[in-house]
Amino acid sequence: MDNIALGQYYEGNSVIHRLDPRSKLLFVIVFIVSIFVAKDIYAFAFLAAAVVLFVAVSRVPIRIILKGLKPLTIIIIFTAVLNMFWTTSDADPIFSVTIIPNFWTMTLHWKGLINAGILALRIILLLIGTTLFFSYTTTPIELTDGLEKGLAPLKKIKVPVHEFAMMMTIALRFIPTLVDETTKIMNAQKARGAEFSSGGLIKRAKALIPIIIPLFVSSFRRAEELATAMECRCYHGGNGRTRMKVLKMKARDYIFLLLSIAMLAGVILINIYANGYKL
Amino acid sequence: MSIIELKNVCYVYGKKTPYQINALENIDLRIEENCITGIIGHTGSGKSTLIQMLNGLMKPDSGEVIVDGENIWNKPKEISKIRYKVGMVMQYPEYQLFADTVGEDIAYGPKNMGLSNDEINHRIEESARFCGIDAQTLQKSPFDLSGGQKRRVALAGVMAMRPKILVLDEPAAGLDPRGRREILGGICEYRKQSGTTVIIVSHSMEDMAMYCDRLAVMSHGKLAMEGSCSEVFAQTEILKSAGLDVPEISNIISALRLKGVKISRNIYTVDGAFSAICDYVRRSKNG
Repeated sequence: MDNIALGQYYEGNSVIHRLDPRSKLLFVIVFIVSIFVAKDIYAFAFLAAAVVLFVAVSRVPIRIILKGLKPLTIIIIFTAVLNMFWTTSDADPIFSVTIIPNFWTMTLHWKGLINAGILALRIILLLIGTTLFFSYTTTPIELTDGLEKGLAPLKKIKVPVHEFAMMMTIALRFIPTLVDETTKIMNAQKARGAEFSSGGLIKRAKALIPIIIPLFVSSFRRAEELATAMECRCYHGGNGRTRMKVLKMKARDYIFLLLSIAMLAGVILINIYANGYKL
Repeated sequence: MSIIELKNVCYVYGKKTPYQINALENIDLRIEENCITGIIGHTGSGKSTLIQMLNGLMKPDSGEVIVDGENIWNKPKEISKIRYKVGMVMQYPEYQLFADTVGEDIAYGPKNMGLSNDEINHRIEESARFCGIDAQTLQKSPFDLSGGQKRRVALAGVMAMRPKILVLDEPAAGLDPRGRREILGGICEYRKQSGTTVIIVSHSMEDMAMYCDRLAVMSHGKLAMEGSCSEVFAQTEILKSAGLDVPEISNIISALRLKGVKISRNIYTVDGAFSAICDYVRRSKNG
């Protein structure tokens, strides 16, 4: 239970760490759009260079970023391989194997290989970009604060923005607590002879009952205690609530946003010039 | 004879990260059979890590854990058998209850051992008796009980496995004085009748002085000392440097001795102090 790479903040004081969470949110949206707009290898090389630059500026060690990607390797490989065989083109295939006659023939084209590579690169860049800005350089609290403030205009149309942000903060805050609790309960049941890693599927599912029930019970208890504690401190929702840290957009935030727009523009230009693509 | 032997046991948390902590450093410890051994130490001294070594919930980075003459990690696949031999009651065990009725929850351990139904029922009855759970409560849902009752149910659940060694992590934490007495008294009674070796982790010096035969003191992941209660409580300096203290009553005894009251220095329980002071008063009246 101790290799969960969720929301790992990497302590630091780089420019990216100090950016306003709202500009990071906007940046990530632009970044995702750029990744999906990018069509060919040059555009991806450009984006990859941008990502490498951001990682360097953030001073988060590459080792940590790669470690965060590790659990997703299988998914990345799986999607890439699937795509490899699902691409058809008019050119001669590299090879083709008939698995079920007249129904399923596996063919591999050069284009398929390239597509698979691009897809894998797309996923990897997407993961590195978003985790770099959302988890490695931003604390969950900053992120929800940013979300709350950034989405504040939606309050006018009665969207409970503050409540959502508060729920997110609480959920994030309790992940480590729940992991801790799960380990404790698992140990307690193991001490009573529980086996979680042997037996058939049904046996294993049944073995989880003595963990899940106590976990649910204690989560409800915790939720109640938390609600009481919040009410004792006069929490009554977002209206009129002031903050200790007030978010403020600074010059670096605007520069950064300009950079992100330049990045999107760059990708579009490469798309147009390199291959004559039309949007 | 020692039933558990730790040889040079080391354990490190968060290896190769900036948060590396040496939880256990070269622990050599023997636990005597049929004794109540107390493990005391400040918060974070490694007590809980130490006891999780005893039933194989954690594996030492180096060193050996020998239970009943056998290194428990010789056959890693049979580690669950060690867990039947070394019963462990964790901190706040009431949070591990899950079954529909108290009886079913107590039966969980014995069922995992693969015992027959008759044997299981017999054991439920027996351990419920030791823990002061009546027949009516056995039919209730564990979630309807009070905190102290829940803890007794959890304790009964481990006792029902009839372990040779019973390890308890802070069994009396968060209970009122009566609950403490009931639970610790019950454990004492159980040991007397069953001959189980008992290990209790606690930081209440008073409880330890009252119930333990031997004490092991942990400090910063090291074993600071080990010995009988009087041996350990005589070493005030070592206790203080481990962030602990002698029982409250011992301080009163020392203060009395300083005032010239002639009573023994080896008094660590309120009952002991009471009879010693009575003795002294009687003697001074007669003399």
